[in-house]
Amino acid sequence: MAELMQPGLMQPGLMPAAGVQLAAVAWLRWRMFVNGLRTGKSGTRSAGGIVLAVVLRMLLWPIFAVWILGPVALSGYVGWSAIANHQPTWLLALMTGIGFLWQFIGVSGSNIAAAMPTFDPASLLRFPLPFGRYLLLRLFLGLLTPSTVVGCLALLSAAVGVGVARPELLPVAVAGFGLYALANVFCARMIGIWLDRVLARRRGREIFGGLLAIVVVSFQFVQFGRVRHVHMPRGHVPGSEQQSWIIATALRSAHAMHWLPPGFAADSVLHSASLAAVAGNLVLLAAWAALFLAGFGVRLHRQFLGEYLSDSLAPAARRSTAARRAPVRPVPQQQAMRSRFPLLPALLRKEWLTLRSNSGQLMGLLTPPIFVWIVSRGSFGSHPDYLLSGAVAYAILGPMSAAYNVFGPEGPGVQLYLLAPLRLRDVVLAKNIASGMILMAEAALAWVIAVSASKTAIAPATQVATALWLIFVLLANLTVGTMRSIQSPRKFAPGQSNQMRSAPTGRTSALLAVALVLGSLLLQVPVIRIGRHLHEPWLGVWVFGALAAAGAAGYVMLLMHVDAMMLRNRDVLERELCGV
Amino acid sequence: MAPAIETAALTRRFGDFTAVRDVGLRVEPGQFYGFLGPNGAGKSTTIKMLTGLLAPTSGTIRILGEDLTANSPALKQQIGVVPEGMALFGRLTAREYLRFVGRMYGLDRDTAGQRTEELLDFMSLAGEDRKLVTDFSHGMQKKLALAAAVIHGPRVLFLDEPFEGVDAVAAGTLKAMLQRMTARGVTIFLTSHVLEIVERLCTHIGIIHRGELVAQGSIEELRERAHGRAGELNGPRPLEEIFLEIVGTERDGSEAAHPPEELSWLS
Repeated sequence: MAELMQPGLMQPGLMPAAGVQLAAVAWLRWRMFVNGLRTGKSGTRSAGGIVLAVVLRMLLWPIFAVWILGPVALSGYVGWSAIANHQPTWLLALMTGIGFLWQFIGVSGSNIAAAMPTFDPASLLRFPLPFGRYLLLRLFLGLLTPSTVVGCLALLSAAVGVGVARPELLPVAVAGFGLYALANVFCARMIGIWLDRVLARRRGREIFGGLLAIVVVSFQFVQFGRVRHVHMPRGHVPGSEQQSWIIATALRSAHAMHWLPPGFAADSVLHSASLAAVAGNLVLLAAWAALFLAGFGVRLHRQFLGEYLSDSLAPAARRSTAARRAPVRPVPQQQAMRSRFPLLPALLRKEWLTLRSNSGQLMGLLTPPIFVWIVSRGSFGSHPDYLLSGAVAYAILGPMSAAYNVFGPEGPGVQLYLLAPLRLRDVVLAKNIASGMILMAEAALAWVIAVSASKTAIAPATQVATALWLIFVLLANLTVGTMRSIQSPRKFAPGQSNQMRSAPTGRTSALLAVALVLGSLLLQVPVIRIGRHLHEPWLGVWVFGALAAAGAAGYVMLLMHVDAMMLRNRDVLERELCGV
Repeated sequence: MAPAIETAALTRRFGDFTAVRDVGLRVEPGQFYGFLGPNGAGKSTTIKMLTGLLAPTSGTIRILGEDLTANSPALKQQIGVVPEGMALFGRLTAREYLRFVGRMYGLDRDTAGQRTEELLDFMSLAGEDRKLVTDFSHGMQKKLALAAAVIHGPRVLFLDEPFEGVDAVAAGTLKAMLQRMTARGVTIFLTSHVLEIVERLCTHIGIIHRGELVAQGSIEELRERAHGRAGELNGPRPLEEIFLEIVGTERDGSEAAHPPEELSWLS
C-alpha cells in the first residue's frame, strides 16, 4: 500500500494515452459480454436454461433471417437492376428507403445493445477523458444495433449489385455507399442524443410515445399497391403511367432528394462518367455526414460538461412531497388490522396506479386493436375461421411480454414482498389479474373488431373454440410468464428515457411468449381442417376446452407452489432487481 | 500554495428549484474536510459539481488552483471519487473492475495489475474473485468503490458516505489509510451522516443547509462559534450538538407540524 500513499503518481496534466483508454473500454465491453453469459453466482448458466435459449433461437431464427437477409438480398437486386436496366430512380429510391428505415427503426425499434448487459456510457465521464476521445467512444459503444447492421449490409449488398452489373462502378459504389452508411450512423446518433434530451422529461416521453404510435398506425394506411387513377387519352394502353400514388408522390419529390444524402449517394454512382461529378457528390455527402456528426457532437459536449437532462423534474417532486403532507385521519390500530383481505385490492390498486402513470404504455395498448381493424378490412376478412383467433392473438402478443417480467418494474421494491408478512401467492395472483385484465381488454376489443369486420358471419362453434383457446393461451402464458418472472427477472424502468426503447423482458422470455401464442394459434389450422373433414364443427371446442382445462390446472398448481418458488429464487430476485 | 478546492458563488438550479446557492468553499491541501448537511441539503449536488459530473448554473470551481471547467480532463486525473451511487460496473469481477479503472487513469498494465492485487488484499476482497460486483454486499461494493477511487494515487479525494455499510474492522483500516493519505498531502472531501466519524477524522467542517453554506471552519472554530451562541463553559461540545444547533435552529416548520405524538399507534 505504500505506493498508493504517494499522491499524484501520474504527472499532473499528463493525460493517459488514447490507445490505452480505448483499449480499456473495448476490454470492458468484452468482459461485460462474457460475464453477461453467467447467470448464477457459480458463474455458469444452468444446462436447462442454455438448451431452452438455444432451441428458441433456432426455432425463431428464420424470422430474424428474413428480417436481415430479406432487405440485404433485395438491396443487392435493386442495385443490380437499377444499373443493368438503366433505371436511375430505382437507385435513388433504394437509398431513400434504406436511409428512412435505418433512422425509423433506430428511433422506434428494438435494440440489440439494450437487451444485452450494458451500462450507461455517461458513467465514463468520471475518468480523465478529453472530449474527442469521449466522442469516439460514444460513437462506437452500442454500434451493433439491428438498424446499423442491416443498413450496412444492405448498402454493401447494393454496392455489390452495382458492381455485378458494371464492374467499373464498384469502387465508386463502395466509396459512395460507405460514406452514406457513415452519414446514417452519425444521423442515428444525432437523433438518438437529441431524443434523449426530449425523453428525459415525462411530458416529452408522453408526446413522443403518442407521435410514434400515430406514425406507426398511419404507416398502415399507406397502401403502396393502390393504383392512382390518371385520366389518360382514349385508346391509351394502361402501363407505367398508372402508378401507386405513393410511388408517384415519391417520384415527384425526387428532385429534392438530390440535395439530401440519399441523392448524393445515388448520384455518385449514376454520374460516374464525370470524375468531377463523383468527387462533388462524395464531398457533399461527406459534408452531410459532418453536419450530422456536429449535431451529435454539440449535444454530447453539453453532456460532457455536466448537463443534467431532466432539469424540470425537481419542482414536480417537491409538489408531490407537499401533497403527501396532507393531514391523515388517524385510524386505531385494531380497526386497521380488522380487514382480513386488504392485500389483493391494495396490490391491484398499485398495479393500476403504475399503469395510469405510464401514458406511453397506455398508448401502446391502443395500437394493436387499430392494427387489427386495418388488417380485418383486407383479405383476412374473408377467412372467418382464422380471422377471429388471428386478430385476438395479434392483439395480445405485444402486451403479453409484460407478463413475463412482472417484478421487473418493481426493481428493489420486490424486497417488500419478501419482507412483509404476506402470502407471495397473493402478490402473484394480483399481478396476474392485472396482466389478465389488460390482455382480456385487448382481446375483447380485437374480438369486436374482427366480428364486425368479417365479411361472413363467424360460426358460434368457431367463437366458442376461440374463447377456449384464449383462456388456454392466457393461462399458459401467465403460468410460464410467472415462472420466468421469478427465475429470470430483469430490472426494467418503463418511465426512463434510456430504457424506453428496450424491451420489458429478456429475449428468451419474449421468444417464449411468441412461441406459445403463435404455436397454439397454428394448432388451430389442423383442428379446423380435421373438423371440416369429419363434418364436426365443434371439434375445436373439445380440443381447446381440454387445453383450457389443462391450462387452468397448470395455473392452479403454479399458485400452490409459487411461494416456495419465490423463496427458492429470492437470491436471483435480489441480485437482478436490487443489485448494481 | 493554492487551495486544493475553492469555489466562488457556486450555484446549481434545477428548473425553478435552487439546490445549491452561492456556496464558497475553501479547502487547503492536506486537509480532511467534512461536508455535512441534512438530507436533501445539497451535499451530493455539490460533490457532483466539484468532480465535473454536473455543470454549475453559475459560479466557479478551482481544483488545485486550476479552473475545473477549463481543465476538466486533466484535473480528473488528479482526483478520485466515491460517488453517491458508487457507479460500479456490476457485470465485472472486482479484479476486472479495478484493472479497468487503473487503465482508464493511464496506469500501465503491470502497475494496474499490481495495485489491483494490493487493493484487493487490503480491502479483503481477494477471495471474491469469482463473484460479479452485482453479487457483492453493499459494504463490499463500498470498499471496491473506495479502492477504485485511490488506485491512481489522486491528490484530491471526494468521498460520499464512504463508510456506509462497511464493517467496523474494515472501516477502521480504511480510516487509518485515509489519515495516512492526508498526512502525505492528499486532500480529502468527505460527506457522512455519522458525525462521530467526521469528528474523529476531519480537521475542518463545512455545513450546508437548504443549499446554502451556513458554517465553515476548523472544528475548534465551529465549537467557539457554538460556544458563543450557547454561552456554555463546560468543555468541548460534541460535533453532533454543534451541527444540530446550527442546522436545527434554521429548520422550517414542516417537522414541527408532525410532532411524534401524532404517531400514537406506535407502541
